Amino acid sequence: MKKLIYYIAMGLVIFAASSCGKVDNYPAPGSTLSGSVTDEGTGQTVQTEVGSRGTRIELLETSYSANPVPIYLESMEDGTYRDTKMFDATYKAIPQGAFVPLIVTDASGNTLSDSSRSFVLKGTAVENFKVQPFLRITWVSKPVFNSDSSVTVQVKISRGTNSADYQLPITDVNLYVCNTQYADENNFDPRFSVLTAYSASQTSSLLSSTLTITTPHGVLPQDVYFRVSARINAGLDEYNYSTPQSAKYP
Amino acid sequence: MKRYQYILLIILAVYSSSCRKINIAPPNIIQNDAVFTTPSGIQAYMSRLYSELPIEDFRYSPDMGLNFFWIIKPTPAVTGEALSRDQTGATAENWGDWHWDVWGGNYATIHDCNYFIKTLPTYASNFTPDQVKAWTAEAYFVRAMTYFALVKRFGGVPITTDVLNYVIGSDPTPLKIPRSSEKAVWDQIQSDLDYAIANLPAVNADFGDGSRANKYVAAAFESRAMLYAGSIAKYNTITLFDAQKNQLCGIPAADATAYFQKAYDAAKMLDGVYSLYLKAWSATDKTAQYQNFVNLFSDASSPESIFVREYNYPNSVHGYDAYNVPRQLIGPNGYSSEVNPTLNFVEMFDGIPKNSDGTIQNLDATGHYKLFTNTMDLFANAEPRLRATVIFPGDVFKNQNIEIRRGIYTGGVTGGISPLIPPGSRSQYPTSTIVSAADITSNTNNPYKLPDGTSLLPAGASGIFTADQTCAISGFSVRKWLDPNLATAQVLENNETQTWIEIRYGEVLLNRAEAGMELANAGQGSTFSADAFSIINQIRSRAGASPSLSAGSMTIDTIRKERRKELAFENKTWWDLRRWRIIDKEQNGTIYRILMPFYAAQAGKYFFDARTDERNDVYTADPKWYYEQIPGGAITKSPNLVQNPGY
Repeated sequence: MKKLIYYIAMGLVIFAASSCGKVDNYPAPGSTLSGSVTDEGTGQTVQTEVGSRGTRIELLETSYSANPVPIYLESMEDGTYRDTKMFDATYKAIPQGAFVPLIVTDASGNTLSDSSRSFVLKGTAVENFKVQPFLRITWVSKPVFNSDSSVTVQVKISRGTNSADYQLPITDVNLYVCNTQYADENNFDPRFSVLTAYSASQTSSLLSSTLTITTPHGVLPQDVYFRVSARINAGLDEYNYSTPQSAKYP
Repeated sequence: MKRYQYILLIILAVYSSSCRKINIAPPNIIQNDAVFTTPSGIQAYMSRLYSELPIEDFRYSPDMGLNFFWIIKPTPAVTGEALSRDQTGATAENWGDWHWDVWGGNYATIHDCNYFIKTLPTYASNFTPDQVKAWTAEAYFVRAMTYFALVKRFGGVPITTDVLNYVIGSDPTPLKIPRSSEKAVWDQIQSDLDYAIANLPAVNADFGDGSRANKYVAAAFESRAMLYAGSIAKYNTITLFDAQKNQLCGIPAADATAYFQKAYDAAKMLDGVYSLYLKAWSATDKTAQYQNFVNLFSDASSPESIFVREYNYPNSVHGYDAYNVPRQLIGPNGYSSEVNPTLNFVEMFDGIPKNSDGTIQNLDATGHYKLFTNTMDLFANAEPRLRATVIFPGDVFKNQNIEIRRGIYTGGVTGGISPLIPPGSRSQYPTSTIVSAADITSNTNNPYKLPDGTSLLPAGASGIFTADQTCAISGFSVRKWLDPNLATAQVLENNETQTWIEIRYGEVLLNRAEAGMELANAGQGSTFSADAFSIINQIRSRAGASPSLSAGSMTIDTIRKERRKELAFENKTWWDLRRWRIIDKEQNGTIYRILMPFYAAQAGKYFFDARTDERNDVYTADPKWYYEQIPGGAITKSPNLVQNPGY
C-alpha cells in the first residue's frame, strides 16, 4: 500500500514537472533600428521635444499584414531615435513632426506625394530621413546675464521650407527656462519662461530680424538651460526648437 | 433473484425519466415576454436607456468619466472657468481612469436601442399604437444622443442601426465594422432626431416632467448637435481619411451652412413652448434679478427646463454641494471648495470696475491699491447673473458671510500701498509684510493683533490657506447649483438628489443666436443677425447685464462670450471651446488669474491684488485632443478601426 502511494506521488511529481516544460516558441525581439531626422537644408538633426508631441517614426510592419496597426518610435530631443527591441521584418516608415509631411493628401483624401520609405530590418538598420522643418531657430549669441538678474537671449528664426502650403504665419515664439536640458512646451519653469503669441502681421518682422527675449525679473536658479521654440498652425501645431543652451551665472 | 429484477426495474425507471429534455429559457436572463408585454416592463427598459444616456451631469468629470460619484477634478477646472486644487493643468478626457467604457458602454446603449426598435413591433398588440410610436421614437432619441456623445469625442465612428449578435464559434469578421465618415455620423444623428421629433408627442405620456423625451426635447438637442456639426465643418483643421477615402475626421467646409440652418430651424421649433425663467425677476431690482437666476436651477416647475436628469436617494445620487460649498460650510465628510472661479472668468462680466484692457481695476490712478471697507464694495454693482454664479469674498450664503482673505498686510500705508509684487510677476508674495495661514489650525491658533487692539485671523474662514488648498484658491467660490437650503449635516457625498438641467431654453436661444450669426456671416441675410441680436438682449436683460449692446457692434465673439457667461459651470463650455477649436489658443502656456483680498492692518481696510495663479499651474491644450484617442482595446478587438491623428 505504501509503495503504491509512493508511485502515485512520484507520478504526480513527474506530471507536475513536465507540465512546466513549455517554452515560448518565439525568440524575443532583438534587432536594432536607429537613425535620425535631419534638416535637408542644413544637414543638422531637427530638434524636437520628448513625448507624443515631438518627432516620431510611424512604422507599418507590411510583411505581417497589408493593413497593420501602426507602431510609433518617439524620437529623442536631438532628433535621433533608436529601438533595440524590434522584430526582423519589412517596415514602411513615415516620420511625423514639425516638418513638411512625407505623405501629402488633398482635401478629398487623394495622395499627392508619398516619400515614405520601406526597408527590411535584419539585425540592425540605420534609417536617416531628410525633411524640411517648418521653422529653424538658431542662436545668435550666448545668453547674457543682466545686472537686474534677468537674462537676455537672441535668436534668429527662418523658414525651413519653400513649400507654398507652409508659408504660414508664426503664431508663437517661446523662451523656455528649465533646470534640465529637456526644456520644451510641457517642461519649463513658468516663473521665468517667456511665452508670446504673435499675430499674423508680425511674421515678416519676426523672420527678417534678430529676436531678443528677456526673462522677467527675479533671480534664476543657478544652472539653467534656455531653449526657444516657434510654430506655425500646421498639422497638430507642433513646435520647432532651437538646441538647448546651458548657462551659468558669471 | 426477484429482488435484483426490482432493482433493475427501478434503475431503468430512474434512467428513463432522467432523459426528459429541459427546454426552458434560462431563468437568469429576462425574456422578451416579461418586458415587452406590460407598460411597467417598457418603463424598466426605458429606465435603463435613460440612465445610460451619456450626458455630462453632476456625476461627470473629464478625469473620471460619466456616471461616477467622485468629482474632485471638476469640468470647470479644465476650461479656465475655475481652478481646483486637484486639477493642475489642461487635460483630455482620461480614459485610463474611466469606470465606464466610453466606447463599449456607448455601443451597449446603441445595441439596447436597436434591440428595442426591432423587438417592440412584435409585441405591438399589447399596447396602443400611440404608445408604440412614442416609445420607438424615444429609442431613436437615445440612440441619437449616444452617437452624439461618440462623434463629439472621436469623429467618425462605426454606425450600426441593426442588432449585432455574436454567436460563439462563428466568424466575427462581419462585426468588425469600420469607422464611417464623421459627416455620416452627424447625418445619422440628424435623421434619428428628425424621426423622434416627428413621432414623439408634445408631452411625454409616461413622464411629463422633462426627465423623458418629447418632441421639443429632441428638437432642442438637434439644435445643439447641428450647431456642433456646423462648427466642425467651419473651424476644424484636422483631417483623416481611411483607405477608401472616407473622411473620418472633419467635415467639408461647404456643409457648414446646411448644418447651421438645421440648428436654427430646430431651435425655432421651441418658440412659444418654453420660455426664459422670470418668476422672481424684476426689471428694476438687481436683487430680484440675482434671486431669479439662483432659483432657475432649483425650481422644478421652471418653464425654462427642457430635459433634466433626476436623482433618487439612495439609488442614484451625487455630491455636488459636498465638493463645492465654501470651506467654512464644509460637510461632515470633508471636501469643499473644488470649483474656484478664475479672475479671467469674472472679468468677462460687466458691473465691476475695469481698466481699458478689460482687467479688473484694483489700483488707483497713482498705481497704489484702492482701499475698501468691505470686500463686497468692489462688487457692489456687479451683474446679478455673476453674483448668482460666483460667491464673491464677503457675500452672504446660507446666512453666513463667506470670508475669503489671503492674509493681513502689516506694512506701512502712508502714501498708499504699492503692489506687493511687480506687475506680471509669478513669484511668491513677500513674507516680511504679510501674515498668512498655512492651514485652518494655524489660522485659528495665530490671531493677529491689530493696531486698535482687536485681533483678526490671518486668513478668512473660507481661505486662503497656503499649504492646505481646501479653500477658495482663486479668491472666489462657485455659487451656481449650490442648494442654500441643504443643512450642513446633509452636505455629504452620495447624498444629494438635486435635479440636473441638461438643456434649458436659455441654451436653445443661444444655439439659435449663434447659428443665426454664422448664417448671417455666410451671407444668408441680415434677418438672422437681427434675430441673434434680439436673443442676446433677452438673455442679457434677464441676467441684469448692462450696458446694452448696439446691433452694429455684435460679432460671433459677442455671442460666444454671452454663452460662456450664461452656461458657465453647466459642463457645456468645455465642449464649446472644443467645437470652436479655440481651446488650444486659450490654453497656450496659460496661467489663469486670481484675485487675492488682503486686509491692511494699519489702514483698517481691504485691498485686492490681481495676479496669476500662485501655484503657477500652466494650462497647455494639445490640438490633437479635438479628436480623442480611440481606446486601444477597441482597436485590438476590431483592427479595422483607424486611430485618430497623433496618438
